[in-house]
Amino acid sequence: MILSILLLSTLGYSPSDSVASPARSIDEVVVVSARAEGAQRSPKGITASIDEHLSVFRNVNLVRRGAYAWEPVVNNMATERVSTTIDGMKIFYACTDKMDPVTSYVESANLQSISLNSGLNGNPQSTGNIGGSVDLKLRKAGFGNGFNAGASKGFETNGNVQVYEADAAWSGERFYVNGGLSYRRADNYKEGGGRVVDFSQFRKVNAFSNTGLRLSNGGVLEHTLIYDRASDVGYPALNMDVSKAEAVITSLSYRHTFSDSWLEAWDTKGYYNHITHIMDDTKRPDVEIHMDMPGKSSTAGLYSLLTASTDVHQLQLNYDLYYNRLFADMTMYPGGAAPMYMVTWPDVGTLNTGAALTDVVTLGRGQSLRLSAKVAQQWQKLNDEEGYHALRVFFPGMKDSYYQTTGRVAAQYAWESSKVRLTAGAGWGSRAPTVTEAYGYYLNNTFDQYDYIGNPRLKNESATEVNASVRWQPGGGLTLTADANAFLFSNYIIGQFERRLSAMTVGAEGVKVYGNLSHATIINTSVEADWQLSRSLRWHGRLTWASGRDDENDPLPLISPVAYRTGIDFSAGRWTAQVLVEGNGTQTHFGEKYGETRTDAYTVAGLNGQYHIPLKTSSLTLRAGVENLFDKRYTSYSDWRDIPQKGRNVYASLVWTL
Amino acid sequence: MKKEFVFVLLAFLTLGLVSCNSNDDAKGIVIDGIDLSDDVDCCSAEEALQVYKFLQTVKIVPELSTVVDNKYNVFAYTRTGTFHKGYNDIYFVATKRSSGNYVRNFEIKNVTPLMYMVKMNMSHSTPVSPVFDQFDDSRPALRHGWISFLMNTSDAGYWNLSYDVDVLGTSDKVSNVSIDVNALPEGQDWLKNFKLGDDTYFLSLVNADKFATGTNEISVYVSRKNNPITIPYGLADKTFTIEIDPRMPDMGNHTSPGNTTLTRQDDGSYKGVINLTMTGLWRIHLTVKDADGNVVAGGDDLKDGYSSLYWDVTL
Ligand SMILES: [Cu+2]
Repeated sequence: MILSILLLSTLGYSPSDSVASPARSIDEVVVVSARAEGAQRSPKGITASIDEHLSVFRNVNLVRRGAYAWEPVVNNMATERVSTTIDGMKIFYACTDKMDPVTSYVESANLQSISLNSGLNGNPQSTGNIGGSVDLKLRKAGFGNGFNAGASKGFETNGNVQVYEADAAWSGERFYVNGGLSYRRADNYKEGGGRVVDFSQFRKVNAFSNTGLRLSNGGVLEHTLIYDRASDVGYPALNMDVSKAEAVITSLSYRHTFSDSWLEAWDTKGYYNHITHIMDDTKRPDVEIHMDMPGKSSTAGLYSLLTASTDVHQLQLNYDLYYNRLFADMTMYPGGAAPMYMVTWPDVGTLNTGAALTDVVTLGRGQSLRLSAKVAQQWQKLNDEEGYHALRVFFPGMKDSYYQTTGRVAAQYAWESSKVRLTAGAGWGSRAPTVTEAYGYYLNNTFDQYDYIGNPRLKNESATEVNASVRWQPGGGLTLTADANAFLFSNYIIGQFERRLSAMTVGAEGVKVYGNLSHATIINTSVEADWQLSRSLRWHGRLTWASGRDDENDPLPLISPVAYRTGIDFSAGRWTAQVLVEGNGTQTHFGEKYGETRTDAYTVAGLNGQYHIPLKTSSLTLRAGVENLFDKRYTSYSDWRDIPQKGRNVYASLVWTL
Repeated sequence: MKKEFVFVLLAFLTLGLVSCNSNDDAKGIVIDGIDLSDDVDCCSAEEALQVYKFLQTVKIVPELSTVVDNKYNVFAYTRTGTFHKGYNDIYFVATKRSSGNYVRNFEIKNVTPLMYMVKMNMSHSTPVSPVFDQFDDSRPALRHGWISFLMNTSDAGYWNLSYDVDVLGTSDKVSNVSIDVNALPEGQDWLKNFKLGDDTYFLSLVNADKFATGTNEISVYVSRKNNPITIPYGLADKTFTIEIDPRMPDMGNHTSPGNTTLTRQDDGSYKGVINLTMTGLWRIHLTVKDADGNVVAGGDDLKDGYSSLYWDVTL
């Protein structure tokens, strides 16, 4: 199952060839487009954050630790089991407390679309994608579109959110360049009922540029650059905030297009990115021990993708290689006494290389088959002596280097007639433990109040996936869809109690060491209905249910309860409007064993509208809406430490496009 | 192409041989003031070089130097060139004044530190290693011993040190040289004592200054107070076991796993394993048991639940 969100630019230029070809997209979610009527979208348009765009995906949930940098959870699996790439580039977060999922280092304005492959059927560059793979597709001007420009301004009452964005593109036949600047800021937001949630503010600046050059031989050279910097970011669910989270993401690629051949294109890209993450607890009251906790992550890599197609096959052959360095440490300053220092990520160097093959086979009579496979090898070395020696206290037999092989293979069959579409798929895949899981050192998790220690002896986790879906269009504008997948894990990696160890963090409950559960199961199901009642009126509804069970059949943590969402869309001429109601049922199966608490049911309602004004050579789009209309105080199961969600929020944005 | 390769290979090989040579043989190396050649009174040039190299890692204690019969210099060294409260390693060498060569056969005896307590108008000694003997086989010209100072020099009292030296049959005496014993910085306390019957025992932590994050060997000497107290305190004749419980008092008293009980070794020291999971102040709480397993010191539960007998080590 592949989904993609289109973030249609404020620029008028056409989407570049980086958009997933519709032939491979089973479902497409359009977020920002005045033209794509009837499609699901983030009602805020381009001024929505990446997190808000991601929340449009049916099988994505977001873990909130504050108002900023939400952690995407795909098929009820979080970062460890999800691959996130930017235009195929690997990038790894730099915070030991997961304050900075890599999606936080881009802006909506950087992107053309977000594509999501559910489960093991991942995009060619992804590794470790048991739950799914997200690829953030950069917004390149492409060739031959002339001059374009755009600007937008967004405003939200709750938290005084301000969004400014401006971009421009010059696009000739041989050369293009486009770039933009964004600024986003928020003060503390108010929960339902009006109480202020302290430490929920943030600031973010972002700049990007993309350049393309068509060479005389028809090949295309492209360069991309993103600079992103968040500062003064509050995390109300955590004990610390962030003073700086900074990323530089850059790539240089060469694309050769074949003509008169079954070979289509050959893309080769070299890339580098660097993240610096600095936490800060100096603004918190009653800090027992002040701490410095910086982290850094840098990744250099390349991939080379060959695409080919015949009448029957659509082939992608990919080779990729990356080297990532992850380092984090912690210095604690007890008043007056000697500082205490430890290395929390021991400067782990990971060299990973893999080869992937995907093929979409058209079998005729509405039948098709999507196949994908990947094998990857990984070498890891602990470069920090002090961190290595510290870990050896817990694992005296450990080495300072490790080697793993992982792989995945998946197949999905689809049959489509005029009224019915059926899919069925299966796959198997494995992933290596993350740096936190294998080598993390006394990482305090505020979710369950335990200190976590990595385990270099972990086995690779693997899962078998089965999935099926049915879509029925009986006529009268009605579409009914049912979808289910199940992941049967072996050696599921999760923190396990280690009562022999004593917690380091003051106030922590104890210590957990990552371990393998012999087996675990995660199941996701959804039913959807979409009814185009008339040209201007559409009703849609969705119900999802999921289950996660460990080896003792107890609930896993952070599994969504029953969730629903329904809305009525209205459109007429330049107007569109929407009423939206969404909510969760009570979380009855919560991971009590893993420190999770029950979350109550909630329902919230929202309204939004959009008005499009064509001008002589440009156009204006005005959007406005209300979220949490009845100012309800609520938290969802994925709100870290049950921090409340935003109360009533009125927003408006104006987008100007040349 | 091929020729070039062979040439480069040869060049590297030659270079390798040359560098091997210079490592294997210390002959011909000239070091200021010392002639590193074979000397019947000392050792091979290589052994002399090893001593020389070792002495680069420690510092001379000028007040303890002496000249024996105008023929030999005797020098004392510690890690810093000074003394501090608790355990101090001390090294001695004797050199010929004529050539600067080290002398192999010399003896350091009767090392006697004495602290004069001003108010009480009395003197006491402190734990000292039973002998000052050859440091190791590769350095026969180096003597090693230790002193564990009970107190640092202060208004309350000051230290003098005496020792006897015999170089190739010629004797000399160093008498009552005034030495300064510095206090340790905050968060370092490497010497503790306990009473058992009429005896007082001292627990000197040997290698606290070498502790690092990770797994460390921990080494300790147990000495018994002498009678009279002006004679240096030798090692305890009783055998104990010392259980350790390292905690970080600044961080909720968390501990580390895998620490082992210190037991007596053949050389008279006590050794075990201590795991230190981060830097900062570690309070090593102690439970001392006699040979029958009875707790004789520490192991008591104070308000916070840990033994009142402890060393402090700050990494
Ligand atoms: Cu952080």
